[in-house]
Amino acid sequence: MSESYAVDVDNVVKSFGTMRALDGVTLRVKTGEIYGLLGPNGAGKTTLIRAIVGLVAPDSGTVAVLGKRMPNLDILGSVGYMTQAAALYPDISVEENLRFFAAISGADGNVDEVLKVVELDQRRKSVVATLSGGMRQRCSLACALVHRPRLLLLDEPTVGVDPQLRVQFWEHFREMAAAGTTIVVSSHVMDEAERCQRLGLIRFGKLLAEGTPNEVRATAGTNNLEDAFLTLSGRSSE
Amino acid sequence: MSGHRIAAITRRLLQQFRHDRRTLALLFVAPLVILGLLGYLIRGATSAPDVGIANRDQGQLGASIASALAKSSKIHAVTINASDGDAKLKDGSLVAYVVFPTDFSQLAQQGTVAPEIHLEGSQPGAQAPVLQAMQDAAASVAASTVRFQPRVTTLYGGPNLDQLDYFGAAFIGLILFFLVFVVTIVSFLRERSQGTLERLMASPLRRGEIVIGYMLGFTILALVQAVEVLLFSLYVLKVHNQGNVLLIFGFEVLMALSAVNLGIFLSMFARTEFQAVQFIPLVIVPQVLLSGILFPISTEPRPLQYVSDVLPLTYAVNGLRDVMLKGADLTWPALQLDAGVVAGFCVLVIFAGIATLRRRIA
Repeated sequence: MSESYAVDVDNVVKSFGTMRALDGVTLRVKTGEIYGLLGPNGAGKTTLIRAIVGLVAPDSGTVAVLGKRMPNLDILGSVGYMTQAAALYPDISVEENLRFFAAISGADGNVDEVLKVVELDQRRKSVVATLSGGMRQRCSLACALVHRPRLLLLDEPTVGVDPQLRVQFWEHFREMAAAGTTIVVSSHVMDEAERCQRLGLIRFGKLLAEGTPNEVRATAGTNNLEDAFLTLSGRSSE
Repeated sequence: MSGHRIAAITRRLLQQFRHDRRTLALLFVAPLVILGLLGYLIRGATSAPDVGIANRDQGQLGASIASALAKSSKIHAVTINASDGDAKLKDGSLVAYVVFPTDFSQLAQQGTVAPEIHLEGSQPGAQAPVLQAMQDAAASVAASTVRFQPRVTTLYGGPNLDQLDYFGAAFIGLILFFLVFVVTIVSFLRERSQGTLERLMASPLRRGEIVIGYMLGFTILALVQAVEVLLFSLYVLKVHNQGNVLLIFGFEVLMALSAVNLGIFLSMFARTEFQAVQFIPLVIVPQVLLSGILFPISTEPRPLQYVSDVLPLTYAVNGLRDVMLKGADLTWPALQLDAGVVAGFCVLVIFAGIATLRRRIA
């Protein structure tokens, strides 16, 4: 377990009843990398992310985050986690949500800065219940960023976010990665996959292929990621 | 344990309530409405039921009892014809009528006092005052020959103690327990359904910190409510209190802590807020019926007494009554037992809450 890997998932198996959600996944993400988890709904992306933060205990295999074997509560202070559906307190304001999530991670938080990033500084006093779906998604992202995490786990962060803001999100992700933050982001949107430095294709709880977007295309022998994904997942089911 | 993180949870809870006026109203207005209603129901002037009197007695006795009945405060006597009685019972204008038959005085001289009492009969509660008034009237007429003067002393309280003093002492605790329990179980469940519990679990927060943070937040609210309820009961309703107000408050603190942690614990067994609401009759109703609030435990059927003996509310109610009605203090073994059991239950549910928190996340 080297500290050079921000995330080190080793042969993790997890079943829910008879359903194998993760079937021997091994995956390593380097510090400062943007790693995309790509796969259809129900492929095991969310379970994998939950296993990385220690919310899912693997049946076998190990997970290490920032050099620490999971589960480890203290290291979670350096991890930002954005769930698929915005997980916010609807009856308090945007700013109160941010300050809360900063405080439980043991940080004062860069509230003003993240509010600008997600363009919610005009609505900081608004109660979350009065925000639109896209605004809530932005607020949820802000809550994952507010304690300056070294590892950011984003479960389909751009669902319901308009294209213009999505571009801004990704610009910000790139800046954060350049400053040393590691980002693991799941998506089933192919144009987002292009923006990742490395991709992992996941289906039926297995990692089918891994590499830069170009490598993935080359492996599949196709010109775009969408075809690559279809080819590779077809190949594995044969 | 980090005080900083615990404070974050507590602060957030209080912020939620600041924005949620309706729940605040439930916590602070509802108790006054309930207690005020209870007070008015018990102490407000009651109207006596109408009772018909038909005197056909040819002697003197019927008339003397009839005039004693007319003075009774338990009933409102109305003179009627014996033949109209049944019709008036049917149309609901009377709950009962009394007929003194023609040979009433004559039979009384032979040793039998036999007035006819016709009851409407479908309302058991309405019969008691009629029979009571009848007995009082007969006794007052008989008192001209025999004197019946028992000397009554009371160990506690006294003749001025009424139903409100008895029920009020218990209700002070019950209202707090009930409302705090409901608010906790629902808000903790919301934490799960809106996905924020998952976020808390993916943070450095310890399970104990979450439970303690919740406990502090709700206990602060509960204590404000307790002070309000106590002031209202003692100074507006003037519920009898013979004991130390701080002891009453101490019982309320323990009950608030128990209610919060019972709410956290039971929220683990519900998936939705709708299911959580179903716990209310399950948890609250048996305790209200069996904890001695309404029916003294000593008069319960034996098997139910065993159940009452294990309900924590039984001890809380008993403790509050001992303090308020009997002026008990902590040197009384009975009060030590009550306080001990309530405190023990409190500790038990705190650990139960912490232990079950993990289970539902994984």
